Amino acid sequence: MRDDINVDKALDLSGLACPMPVVKVSKGIKEIEVGQVLEATTTDPGSLTDFPAWARTSGNEILKTDQDGDTIKFYIQRKA
Amino acid sequence: MDLETRNELLKLFKTKLNQAMRLYLETCTRCGVCIEACHVYASTGQVKHIAAYRSEIIRRLYKKHFKLRGKFWPSVGEAKELNDMALEELFEAAYSCTGCRRCMVFCPFGIDTQMLMSIAKLLLIGAHTEPEILTLLADTSVEKGKSIDLFKEGFLQGIKNLEKQVVKKWALEAGETAIPVDVEGADLLYVALAGAHSIIPAAAIFNAAGENWTLSFFEAVNFGAFVGDPTKTKLILDRIIKEALRLKVKEVCICECGTAYRVMKHLSGTQPFTVSSITEVHARYIREGRIKLDKSRFNQATTYHDPCQIARNAGIMEEPRFILKHLTDDFREMSPEPEYNWCCGGGGGLVALGEETLDFRMKSSRVKADQVKETGAAILATACENCHTQLDNLNDHYNMGVEVKFLSSMLADALVQDGSRRVQPI
Amino acid sequence: MQSLYYFILVPMVYFAVAVFIIGTCVRLFNIFKASPHPTTLQIYPEKKSKFLGTLLDSLLFPTIRRHKPLLWVFLMVFHIGLILLFIGHLELIWDLAIFQIIPHDPFLGKGYLGLIMAVCLLFFLFRRMLSPVKELSVPEDYYLLILLFLIVTFGSEMDWARRIYFYEELTVEDYRDYFVSLLVFKPELPDGIIFSGHAFMLVLHAFFANLFLIFFPFSQSMHSFLSLPINKLRRG
Repeated sequence: MRDDINVDKALDLSGLACPMPVVKVSKGIKEIEVGQVLEATTTDPGSLTDFPAWARTSGNEILKTDQDGDTIKFYIQRKA
Repeated sequence: MDLETRNELLKLFKTKLNQAMRLYLETCTRCGVCIEACHVYASTGQVKHIAAYRSEIIRRLYKKHFKLRGKFWPSVGEAKELNDMALEELFEAAYSCTGCRRCMVFCPFGIDTQMLMSIAKLLLIGAHTEPEILTLLADTSVEKGKSIDLFKEGFLQGIKNLEKQVVKKWALEAGETAIPVDVEGADLLYVALAGAHSIIPAAAIFNAAGENWTLSFFEAVNFGAFVGDPTKTKLILDRIIKEALRLKVKEVCICECGTAYRVMKHLSGTQPFTVSSITEVHARYIREGRIKLDKSRFNQATTYHDPCQIARNAGIMEEPRFILKHLTDDFREMSPEPEYNWCCGGGGGLVALGEETLDFRMKSSRVKADQVKETGAAILATACENCHTQLDNLNDHYNMGVEVKFLSSMLADALVQDGSRRVQPI
Repeated sequence: MQSLYYFILVPMVYFAVAVFIIGTCVRLFNIFKASPHPTTLQIYPEKKSKFLGTLLDSLLFPTIRRHKPLLWVFLMVFHIGLILLFIGHLELIWDLAIFQIIPHDPFLGKGYLGLIMAVCLLFFLFRRMLSPVKELSVPEDYYLLILLFLIVTFGSEMDWARRIYFYEELTVEDYRDYFVSLLVFKPELPDGIIFSGHAFMLVLHAFFANLFLIFFPFSQSMHSFLSLPINKLRRG
C-alpha cells in the first residue's frame, strides 16, 4: 500500500553540507498541509539517523525510506 | 514582559555568574582597544559591532539587576532593565557575534566576548526567542542519542553504500572493512558529520595509515553549543563520551568541525581516552611515515584559513601547516600570526541558520574576503565545516576566485598507494 | 569655614577610606567566592611562562602597545605617575629610606608629575569624547577622569604654591603631623594646614580624593585589582 505514496512536494538535498538537510526539510514540511507528504532526497548517510530523530522531535512521520546506491529518499508526512 | 518572566530570566542569568564571568563583567574600562578587533565592525563600521559595545549590552543588565549601584544610581553606568526591548538588543548582539574571540587577543584584560554572549543566548532561550531552528537541531541530536537503536540498521546500510567510494581512494586487502562501525576495542573512534564528504576521505586515510578505527553513530557537531544551551550541549556531548567508553577506545578523533572539537576537547573532562582533531591525527600519520603523499597532486598556490575554534581557541596551528608543506611547495600564509586570523564570519550558529543570515554573513566578512584575495592563492584550505560553507559563500559573493577545500580531502586525494597494496579498479 | 575644612579633612577622610576598603573587599569577595569556570578560557598558542606572562600583561599592557601605541604611551605615563604619587604620599607619613636612593624632599616630581598626569587625563577625556570610544563610554568613565583631573591639578598646585610662590608656612612637617594624627586616630589639624594661604587647595584636593575613594569600589577603577586574575584566564 505504501508503494503508492502521493508526494505533494519534493526537495532535493543532495550534496548539501551539514546541517542543511535537516534545516531545509524542517522548513519544507511547513510549506505543506498537515497530512500531505514531502519527498526529500539526500546523499548523506548521516541523514539516515538525523531524519528519523528529527521526525520524532518535530512530531512528523517518516512513511518510508528508500536507499538506492548513494541516494536516499525519505517520504515524510506532516503530522503537526 | 511580566514580572514572573523577568524573574525566571534573571535566575538563568544568575546561573552564568561564575568567577570568570564576573571578572569579564566587572573589569571593562571601555578603553576601545578592541575597536578594530571584530570582523563585523571592520567590515561594516557599525559601532554596535565593537566588542566592548556588545559586552556592555549584557553589562548594563548585570549592573541593573545584580549590582547595588544599578539600583541606587543607574544612570552612572547606564544600567538597564531587562525587558522586551533588551531582549531584542541581546538577540542582535548574540547572533551577530561569531564567538571567534579575536577581540580577546586585543583586550588589555583578555575579556571573552563569547562568554558574555553566552548569557545573551541563554536568556533568549529562556524567553523562547532564540532561532528556533538551532533548538530543533539540538533536540534532533539529543533525540538521536536517546533512540539510536531504532535507527542503527538504516545507518549501517547507508555506510555500506559509501564503502565503494572509500575504496576508490584507497584500495583494501581482502577481508578489510572500508568503514568499520561499532567496533569494540578499536583504538580510535572517529566522530564525523552527517555528510559523506566528512566520512569518505577520512576513512581512506585511516585505512591507508593502517589505523584500528571505528566510525561513530553520532555526528560531531554540537548544536547545543551554537544555541547556547548548557544542558543540551552536555547531553549531545555525552552521547559521544558514552559511545567511546562502551567501545573502550583510546582516542576520540573529531572531524573537521571547530565547535565539535573545542566542545569535546574542553568539556569532556578527564576520561580514559584522549581527544584529538583529525588534523592532529593526520599530521601524526605523516610524521610517523604511516602515509605517503604525492606533492605534485596540487601544484597551485595554497593558503589556509585557521578556524577560530580549532586554532586561536584550541591551539591547533602548527599541524595544518605541517600537513600543507607535504601537499604543496607554494603555501602562502594568510595571517602571519594565526591568533590574529580573521574569523570566516560564519561561526556561532550563523552558518547553520542558512539563507536567513546569508546577507549579514556576506556583509560582515568583507575583511575575510580581502585577506584571502591578498594571498593570491588558488586553493583555500580549511579544517572546519562551518568555515568551509561560509568561505564557499564568500567565494561566490566576492568573486574570490579560489577553490575552497577541506584539508582532509586534499590529503586523501594525494595519498600514494605503493606496490604492496594494489589499487583495485571498481 | 573652619568647620567645613575640618569636615573634609577629618571625618570625610575616615568615611572615604572606610568605604574604599570595605567596598573593595566586598566586591572582591563576591567575585572570588563564585565557583571557577570549569574549562580553560585561554587563547592559543600557549605561552610558556604563564605567571610571568600574566604579570607582564597586567603591568605593561602589551596588547595596547601593539594596537594603540599613542594611547599606550599616555597610559604608561599615567600609571607610572600613579605609582610615584602613591609613594610620594607614603613619604608624607614615613621617611622611607629606599625611596631616598635619589635624595629628595617629598614630592620627587615637584608638582610636575601631577601636571603630566593632568595632560594624560585630558587626553583620555578628549579621546572618550570622540567616536567610536564615545559610543562605548558611560557617564562613570567621564566622572572618574574628571575627578582624577581635579585631584592631580589641586595636588600639584599645592606643591607649586610651596615651592614657587613661597607659601612656606604649610610645610612637609605639617602634612606629616596631619597624616600621622589621622593614622593614630587622634586627628589634629596643624595651623599651617588651616590658616595658610593655599589651604583651600589642600581642602579641594582632599575633597575630590575622598569622592574618588568613595566611588572607587563601585566603578571600573576596580580594574587595578582585577587585571591580574582576569589576565591569568587568557594565559590559561
